[in-house]
Amino acid sequence: MFREEKMRLFNTLGITAALMLGAAPMAFAGPVQIEGGKNVNMVLLPKFLGILVFDQANDGAQEAHKELKNPGELLFVGPTPENSVAGQIEIMTTAATQGQGAVMLSNNTGDQIVPSAKAAQAAGTRVITWDSPIPSGEGEDVFVAQVDFGSIGKVMADMAHSILGGKGQMAILSATPDASNQNAWIASLKEVLKSDPKYAGIELVDTVYGDDQAEVSYNRALGLVDKYPDLGLIMSPTTVGIQASAKAMQDEGLCDQVKVSGLGLPSEMVSYTMNGCAPEFALWDFRDLGYLTYYTAYGLASGQLTGEIGESFTAGRMGDYTIEEDPGRPGTKRILMGPFTVYTSENVEAAAK
Amino acid sequence: MKNAGAPGKILKRLKSWEGFLALVLGIIFLANVILSPQYLSLLNQINLFQLSIEKIIVALVMTFIIINAEIDLSVGSMMGLGACVFGWLVQGGMGGGWAILVVLLVGLAGGALNGFFITRIGLPSLVVTLATLIGFRGLARVLVEDRGITDFPDWFDALGQNGLIGPVPFALIAFAVLFVLLFIVLQKSGFGRKTYVIGTNRDVADYAGIDTARHKMKLFLASGLISAFAGLLYAARVGAVRGDVALGFELDIITIVLLGGVSIYGGAGSLIGTLLAILIVLNLRNGMALINITGHIQTGVIGLLLIGSVLLPKLNLSTLFRKNKGQPPEQKEESA
Repeated sequence: MFREEKMRLFNTLGITAALMLGAAPMAFAGPVQIEGGKNVNMVLLPKFLGILVFDQANDGAQEAHKELKNPGELLFVGPTPENSVAGQIEIMTTAATQGQGAVMLSNNTGDQIVPSAKAAQAAGTRVITWDSPIPSGEGEDVFVAQVDFGSIGKVMADMAHSILGGKGQMAILSATPDASNQNAWIASLKEVLKSDPKYAGIELVDTVYGDDQAEVSYNRALGLVDKYPDLGLIMSPTTVGIQASAKAMQDEGLCDQVKVSGLGLPSEMVSYTMNGCAPEFALWDFRDLGYLTYYTAYGLASGQLTGEIGESFTAGRMGDYTIEEDPGRPGTKRILMGPFTVYTSENVEAAAK
Repeated sequence: MKNAGAPGKILKRLKSWEGFLALVLGIIFLANVILSPQYLSLLNQINLFQLSIEKIIVALVMTFIIINAEIDLSVGSMMGLGACVFGWLVQGGMGGGWAILVVLLVGLAGGALNGFFITRIGLPSLVVTLATLIGFRGLARVLVEDRGITDFPDWFDALGQNGLIGPVPFALIAFAVLFVLLFIVLQKSGFGRKTYVIGTNRDVADYAGIDTARHKMKLFLASGLISAFAGLLYAARVGAVRGDVALGFELDIITIVLLGGVSIYGGAGSLIGTLLAILIVLNLRNGMALINITGHIQTGVIGLLLIGSVLLPKLNLSTLFRKNKGQPPEQKEESA
């Protein structure tokens, strides 16, 4: 009730301000208030179906969809894991044919999606990436980044430092070799380990890939333990890999020697954190990421946002965000969500509920 | 059979495998027209082919290989290798034209390698091409490692992504031309007849004085060459390559050919059947995508169609009572 009144007040103020200022440039008007009720059909396209975090992102997008009273349709469609690249290209192409207002893409194709994304843009469809961007930024309006990619390396290095007590061997178990988000984070971790003497005692011995499939990741984790008898930590920057690794260590009774850390979901990791297999891990809220991505896409597709660098807008309950240049990909645009939450036995149970 | 009049011929046509496929295709077509307003648009019809163009080009040559009672599992890996060699060479500074030439030679070399082990050493093609499926893919991954290569020459990207004649892109024209050429070769030429004869019974062909080894070598050379060519088409269409390009494509390709009525035991099948199967799979995929059925359901529906269409014709009573486990009878009739 209060919220609605507040919104109405904002709208009235906005209209008054616009009348007073006439054709004044956006920059003087403060954050754009995204107005609901416009008819925009949109597609939320995850890397593939069947992953909990993508379902959570969909929950967030659906929440925003209802909140903005969009009479159009919000579709959650994606490929199967083994057909991810061809499937994402197919869905992007079809979205352009259908005349969708926006496609929200967690990209799993590297730059292979570029021609179809460009074709979609030419057909009037806005392309907004989230979770994992298009590396070259071509065919992409803006990337909604969950956290600053450069800061992920620091967070993972700190967790490793704390778990290993500053000294020991660590291996990385990632998703697919081509995942542009994970690759950027691993590069950032390596950079931090190399540049800061604080982490001199931590030795990164190997990087392996579990393809974001539970069984493959489970076997890769066991393979690491066999190969490196002195291994103290498996760092997995993917929710599938970290859970599979923790399960592998628990099943084999190795949790005393080899700890697991990385990026995980509290609901999936709570038991491993409480029993000491994965004492610390981090993540952001995928529901929020879906919510913010929806607001961005809706604003762009309904013409309320132009997508220029420096443009600010209010994303409902999450507050104000600004479009800026992506420091990791010069010449491209991003919106930074942040922040990170580090989960330990102190806070994981509350978050898992 | 010889006495059958015109109506009898039509009836026989309809009862044939091709007739059944045409009926299925008609149903899918009608459903698509009714369910999706965008289905018939020219752009969608072109995209429908473009999204799978590399697979369907290779499926044409695969039809020859399987009719010849062989199999080539390495086609997907060769497509990946071709694409990756191109990316690697262009990144290293080689001109696009020269890089294309090298890729086509790599395709021929890969085909020759398969052909050598199959025809000279006498190993089964299933084993040889399973090995090269892994080998070619490994080579592709070594070349480009865990990265994507992009920034191809503009003309190369344009060829893959823009229309060449009006809105019709190069790859689709290549498919059409190749289909007509290969149709004439398979159905009207001596080479085509040999392909069937060898596939039906290699020993008989040998006794008849046909150089069967030489014939098979030619087929595997063609398979390698066309697969590498298809890899180039893929690179041009998506404008980037990675080590996993065309991963698993061989299964889709072989499935289409089998759906088309080509006998896995060799000796029977036609390019018309393959074309109908291509149209069925592509239109079904496209229709489902347009009404937003994707992912597991799409895979499931296509899977069910294939199970039904491959198993159904084998479940007739004559097959059950006839004790030979060899070639299914209805497909023997087609080759006659």
